[in-house]
Amino acid sequence: MKKKEKPKYNMAQNSWFMVKLAWTSKEKKVLVLGLLSALLTVALNLINLYVSPTVLGVVERHGSLGELAGTLGGFVLALMVVSAAANYININVLFGRITVRSEIINLLNRKAAITSYPNWQDDRFQKLLPKASQCTCSNNAPTEAVWTTLTNLTANGLGFLIYLVLFARVEPVLIPVILLTAGVSYLIANRLNGYGFRHREEEAEYDRQISYITRRAGNFQAAKDIRIFGLRPWLEELNRKAMEANTAFHRKAQGVYLWGAVADLVLTFLRNGIAYAYLIGLVLYQHVSVAEFLLLFTAVGGFAQWVTGILGDCGTLYRQSLDLTIVRECLEYPEPFRFEDGQPLSPKPGEPLEIRLEDVSFRYPEAEKGTLCHINLTLHPGEKLAVVGLNGAGKTTLIKLLCGFLDPTQGRVLLNGQDIRAYNRRDYYRLFSAVFQTYSVIPGTIAANVAQREENICLEKVRDCLEKAGLREKVESLPQGYETLLNREVYEEAILLSGGETQRLMLARALYKDGPIVVLDEPTAALDPLAEADMYRKYHEMTRGKSSVYISHRLASTRFCDRIILLDGGSICEEGTHQSLLEAGGKYAKLYEVQSKYYQEGDAENGEE
Amino acid sequence: MLKMEKNKKKTWKETIRLNRRGLSYFCRSCPQILLSQTLYGIWTALAPYVGIFFSAQVIQELAGQRDPQRLGFWVLLTLASAAGIALVSALLKKWKETQDAGAWFQMEYFLTEKILKTDYVNLDETENADLLYTIRQNKNAGGWGFYRVLNDFVESCSAVVSILAGISLTVTLFLLPVPGQASAYTWLNSPWVVLLVVAVMLGITLLAPILANQAESYWAKHADLLRLSNRLFGFFGFLGYNRELAADVRTYEQDCICEKYNRNKEDAFNSQGIFSRYARGPMGLYSAASGAVSVMFTGVAYGFVCLKAWAGAFGLGAVTQYVASITQVSGGVSKLVNYLGDMRNNAAFLELEFRFLDIPDRMYQGSLTVEKRRDRKYEVEFRDVSFKYPGSENYALSHVNMKFEVGKRLAVVGMNGSGKTTFIKLLCRLYDPTEGQILLNGIDIRKYNYSEYMNIFSVVFQDFQLFALPLGQNVAGRVDYDPVRAEDCLQKAGFGDRLEKMPKGLETYLYKDYDKDGVDISGGEAQKIAIARALYKDAPFIILDEPTAALDPVAEAEIYEKFDEIVEDKTAIYISHRLSSCKFCDQIAVFHEGSVIQQGTHTQLLSDEAGQYYALWNAQAQYYNEESND
Repeated sequence: MKKKEKPKYNMAQNSWFMVKLAWTSKEKKVLVLGLLSALLTVALNLINLYVSPTVLGVVERHGSLGELAGTLGGFVLALMVVSAAANYININVLFGRITVRSEIINLLNRKAAITSYPNWQDDRFQKLLPKASQCTCSNNAPTEAVWTTLTNLTANGLGFLIYLVLFARVEPVLIPVILLTAGVSYLIANRLNGYGFRHREEEAEYDRQISYITRRAGNFQAAKDIRIFGLRPWLEELNRKAMEANTAFHRKAQGVYLWGAVADLVLTFLRNGIAYAYLIGLVLYQHVSVAEFLLLFTAVGGFAQWVTGILGDCGTLYRQSLDLTIVRECLEYPEPFRFEDGQPLSPKPGEPLEIRLEDVSFRYPEAEKGTLCHINLTLHPGEKLAVVGLNGAGKTTLIKLLCGFLDPTQGRVLLNGQDIRAYNRRDYYRLFSAVFQTYSVIPGTIAANVAQREENICLEKVRDCLEKAGLREKVESLPQGYETLLNREVYEEAILLSGGETQRLMLARALYKDGPIVVLDEPTAALDPLAEADMYRKYHEMTRGKSSVYISHRLASTRFCDRIILLDGGSICEEGTHQSLLEAGGKYAKLYEVQSKYYQEGDAENGEE
Repeated sequence: MLKMEKNKKKTWKETIRLNRRGLSYFCRSCPQILLSQTLYGIWTALAPYVGIFFSAQVIQELAGQRDPQRLGFWVLLTLASAAGIALVSALLKKWKETQDAGAWFQMEYFLTEKILKTDYVNLDETENADLLYTIRQNKNAGGWGFYRVLNDFVESCSAVVSILAGISLTVTLFLLPVPGQASAYTWLNSPWVVLLVVAVMLGITLLAPILANQAESYWAKHADLLRLSNRLFGFFGFLGYNRELAADVRTYEQDCICEKYNRNKEDAFNSQGIFSRYARGPMGLYSAASGAVSVMFTGVAYGFVCLKAWAGAFGLGAVTQYVASITQVSGGVSKLVNYLGDMRNNAAFLELEFRFLDIPDRMYQGSLTVEKRRDRKYEVEFRDVSFKYPGSENYALSHVNMKFEVGKRLAVVGMNGSGKTTFIKLLCRLYDPTEGQILLNGIDIRKYNYSEYMNIFSVVFQDFQLFALPLGQNVAGRVDYDPVRAEDCLQKAGFGDRLEKMPKGLETYLYKDYDKDGVDISGGEAQKIAIARALYKDAPFIILDEPTAALDPVAEAEIYEKFDEIVEDKTAIYISHRLSSCKFCDQIAVFHEGSVIQQGTHTQLLSDEAGQYYALWNAQAQYYNEESND
């Protein structure tokens, strides 16, 4: 933790990044409005600087009442115009900024959604992503608030320059005093501000722990278990401990920041002391008027404020820049897979595809033992392949290798003889129509869920796919039909499909995609016997004429496949048809025996009666 | 569906009541957060006046006698007070920020606590789930609810202090008379003039925030749009982050549809959206007007102060003090108006939170002790039990009659949605029956002490939940547990081999959500841990809700074979889709559409070829039946 880390990008680079992003996402108004807002702030400040001394000057001189009224009226009018304009601008700056932040959210989500799958096993990426997301979570998050900082910095910088000229012409002596005290204060603050960055991972840890407990205790999923097993005191205790640890951490961090404030107040004391002594000297011995004193005195305060403003903004910008660095690091996270830089892949319809695993071994990065070793397997065009095995035998890993989510540690995965690593991985994924164990129902119409898009949906095809998946009747019975909205978390008027219906919807989705290779990963676990039997029939139909891989630990369901491979301990231990494997009397036969025992005895009993 | 009552503002009385109640939550569970923020707010409200006062003295001295010694004294005091104030501010800020670090979670905990404590049936009501969802959305989108209570209170306090302090520094402005020799201007001394000036100032001070509120009101007018926009964003903006969905997202290129939504500039919040149009139009104009009006205040203040000074009522030092103070007071007043308005707006959101927190727990809490029978002799009877989910028209269970004894094995089978799980939930008193009675040893279970009654059940639900916490704690459900017993239970559940491989044994964290060194476990392993947890509880009833779905054939067989041994002399209830597991049970109940349509042993039920059990059995047996293989 003690290791000193230098952020990858500095403040200027990150500011430029944001400016460029606003430009490219056609939100130039963010820059224009920001600049206008800064200009108006400075204008407002200058008017305010002069209003008091000027009016006081009139009173001091005892000028005419008309002069007093005129001066005052002029100032008030100017103030009104500038304030009104500033308010109008400031209410309008929001939307462009939100749009730019949305774009960053979009980029991050896109990165997360398409990043090379192994990055999900990468601890650093896994930590980076939520942290980056945190930087986009609200209007005050760095990816939006940085505009405020930049606007303020512009205003403060401009104000600073104007005051600098003012002082240079009147009292240049004070300039170095203000700059020196302010500069030292900045250096100290800057040093201390780094604490947060240096300990950001520790902070993230606490955050994660509390979030976890809050999330688990606060959603309804675990409510049954919590009640039956009386888990409340346990969760409450852990929550309390995590909160205490978090507070302790922040106490320590704030303790460090405190010294920045202390240094600043000492330096402010010095600065103002010198300024006071000097300016009062002017009034006493050089016949400067009180109104002028007031102007200069206010100007010293104002000048210091510009300087502290700049310093504060720099501090803020520094912190925000650290966060933006996280966002950028996340966006630029290296991709082990090839995407745009890979060979394009678009097989002609009906072109036979053969996938071959050639001496493939795979070991997860942190694991001691390989999950798969020396697998040789060919998925022939049009073949129905079943992968069975016990939990932990490596079935899921095998599928991930086949589908190109993981690359083998050793060996190659070949598509028609060509290593798949050479291809654009997105193109490769297009080959697969898959139903995995976890999927999401997107907020949108049923048709959109089947087609996975919202424009150019071929309704004919949607209908056909739903028909094949056995859901058409149900969909057409709904008042909104294919336009019925799904996902109640987003649409209040959405309907809720049952587990079995959702499963069918996912099947329809796979059919609509019409990829040449079908992958089915244990899709019937939660279904009742009748629904399960129906699903098997559907799968059988949908894989007609295509290559397919079917994973199951229920051996009985794999009979419709041309070839079954049995995984055990990370390698293929048996292979053949259901019949041949049974006859071989090996491990498969034994497993089948175990599973079917009860049923067969049942039948026997039944027969006896 | 739940909607916020639009344009239905809370009365002030209600606003105050709701906010007071909101504050009481902070007082009760995290007084330091409240206290530190309040003190910091008050302190920062007072601080500027010290500077205003002292520097006015310096100017007064300069404009008057210019005594170097007195000047030095005032200057030193100005500087020292500024430094002292800054120091105290820094210390208070440290306290406040430290406390604030956990504030968000603390407020979330107000809800969490209720979720942990309330009757389970309340959580099953869609209306309540929707309510909670809306509350969380409001909180995340606009910080509405508890967080605003705190902020509104603190800012209002600080505004009041600011106003009072400012008034005490300006009261002499109105009282000090214009001296008699400037007779043309003595009308400035008239109380009517004073009153008029105060009235004008007050009017302007109030008008500005009213205009500002008018501008703000456009947000509230389309709150529905904002919510939908946030919901869509919440889904499409973060779909890619879900690790479990990673394969699915890539296969179906869902990044495309996400991008379509995330880049939609016509979304309510974005640059071509409805609010942006309002901002360019009326919303922006109201805001501009408000800005202009509030500046007029400065004009009136200056006018009056300068006029009196010009007429000789007081000196230049006082002018700066008055102008600065009045400006502060004005700031305080508009801040107060602003935050009172916010308080009132927040009241409606707060009411939602309280509506959730006040969901009544209707379950009857009996007091009878559940007899701790050494012989574990319990008998349970369902007597004409019917159950309707709250808010639902249809009965999930109707007229269930059933009786079973301790030590027996009961199997519950049926299709999805036939009422199996509801039956279990009723038995464990997660729900109370709508009609009928459940009896334990002849006594209505409602009459027993609730937590004692729950103590006699161990359930492994189909969607059982483990936590990303140490293995041993997961088994025992507490921080301090008996490691020997935990290990024993894990052994019995078949987790023994895996336990040996766990890097820190029972102290190993499961999954990586909480501890980065945690260990990922498979679904089957998780199930074994869940079974071990059920065993650790050592309750006379053990209920397994489809425990083999995630298990492979060997583990499934292992569980079947060890089942009798695992549950020992306990009563076991077994819900399953895998009918093969029913055979060793003493009694099988077939559920269909909420009723028990068949009861008996496997052999009895199978002999009825027209029965549901026969159909279910054959749907599965066909795979294992060589003859029927085509």
